Amino acid sequence: MEDKNLSEKESLELITRMIKNTQSKFEMNAGVPFLIFGYLTVIAAVAVWFAVTRTGNPQWNFLWFIIIAIGYPVKMITNRKKVKGVKSFVDGVITKLWIVFGVAAFLVSLDAMFFYNIDNILFIIVLLMGMGTALTGMIIRFSPSIIAGFASIAISFLLLQVEGYDQCLIFAAVFVLMMVIPGHILNCKGKKDVERA
Amino acid sequence: MLKELNPLLHSELRLAIMSILIGVESADFVYLKEETQATSGNLSVQIDKLSTAEYITVEKGFKGKKPKTTCKITNKGKKAFAEYVAVLKSYIKL
Repeated sequence: MEDKNLSEKESLELITRMIKNTQSKFEMNAGVPFLIFGYLTVIAAVAVWFAVTRTGNPQWNFLWFIIIAIGYPVKMITNRKKVKGVKSFVDGVITKLWIVFGVAAFLVSLDAMFFYNIDNILFIIVLLMGMGTALTGMIIRFSPSIIAGFASIAISFLLLQVEGYDQCLIFAAVFVLMMVIPGHILNCKGKKDVERA
Repeated sequence: MLKELNPLLHSELRLAIMSILIGVESADFVYLKEETQATSGNLSVQIDKLSTAEYITVEKGFKGKKPKTTCKITNKGKKAFAEYVAVLKSYIKL
């Protein structure tokens, strides 16, 4: 590219191309964080359900910590592969939003595991994560996440009707709906947009 | 009567830089160079021109041991860009 003057039409085309290029770079692999935490949560929920119902030992609940122990390092590694040298407003807002919801969910989980003040932990977690997903969907204007987020908020109340460790299975199913499916759709959309750009 | 297009923005490379910066919080020199396919020298000159006009801010720092130049669009730059697009549209009657 040089320091040459363009015609009006060329100028408009250049603006459109540059904006689209930048946008499509951010859309590539945008669903990865949803997939990391979605799949890990499903695995942890099914593992806890299986282990506790088979052994009767509640110590297996510590398996929930694999979400954080594996999720955050993997997220940090995938962050390094992100578009380098450029920061987007949307990325920054979404990161801050999930820090707030993540910290809230972590503190609620700690309280439920070590101080036993909270009875229906999975209901609260699904409610919080559903809110985070719906908000993320609204910020990035991605309807599957908006729908999945609100559906998860609604389904969270079903967890109040189910007792015992069977809640874990509903919890796993909600995370498939809330994070795994939208994550794959978002990645496919990103790939298509990059190919088109 | 049609308004005159802002000559500072009516150049391929400067317009490309502004079009990238309008959609992001910040972008560094290496990213701008890759996206515009410009030479380092030419890109530096155009960045200086935009910075002198206060359309962008340029922050020079280091990432580890490597120098890093980060560019951000200013409010004045956003306004100039919006006006430029509006005039362009009036030219081609969109």
